[in-house]
Amino acid sequence: MPEPNGHVNLVLVSHSAEIAHGLADLVGQIAGPDVRIVTAGGAVDGSLGTDGSAVLAALRTASAGAGTVVLVDLGSSVLSVRAAIAELTEEESERIGVADAPLVEGAVAAGVAASTGCTLAQAVEAAEGACNVAKL
Amino acid sequence: MSPSSDVLVERTARLPEEVALHARPAGWLVRAAAAFAADVHVSANGRRADAKSILDVLALGAEGGTELAIDASGEDAVAAAEHLVLLIPKLT
Repeated sequence: MPEPNGHVNLVLVSHSAEIAHGLADLVGQIAGPDVRIVTAGGAVDGSLGTDGSAVLAALRTASAGAGTVVLVDLGSSVLSVRAAIAELTEEESERIGVADAPLVEGAVAAGVAASTGCTLAQAVEAAEGACNVAKL
Repeated sequence: MSPSSDVLVERTARLPEEVALHARPAGWLVRAAAAFAADVHVSANGRRADAKSILDVLALGAEGGTELAIDASGEDAVAAAEHLVLLIPKLT
């Protein structure tokens, strides 16, 4: 197995392609150009929904580097991610961390953490820490 | 061990008038702070943020021209605080 190197990547999974793309823009601006952000938004026909094969493609696209943090929006996004991970080899799936975090805040936190050159576990921890940050 | 290890190092720095501590500049600040081992905080508007937490820093809501109070503790606290003193007025 190659030694992990480079930055942690992000995969953003949403029921809406627009949400996923807009969030990728936002995170890209805050985290800078070193963090790769791949989106899987919307159903196969472009409507609202999630698409396990698109998630799988995103996970494979993001597989280089120091690992991949996956951020999800609602309900079936989680199921699509689980289904996609089940298609990967054990070696591939060990380099993926699904964050139990709010999508926007978690992606921003994970993206900036990744931009500092942190590990996969630290990026997941940064995303999950977003659960405890008050907005007001 | 540095002599600053038990001391809270305090500095201030002012954001450029036209640069609020939003999105991109906040990301730069966090990346800069994260390069140090020290615990680093920045304060403004009555809030104190962990300078290594982007969500904390964004929640400060610091507008352009705001004076930020920096405090740092730990082995490279002086270097961390002084690095941020130089960086903050140059954020774009």
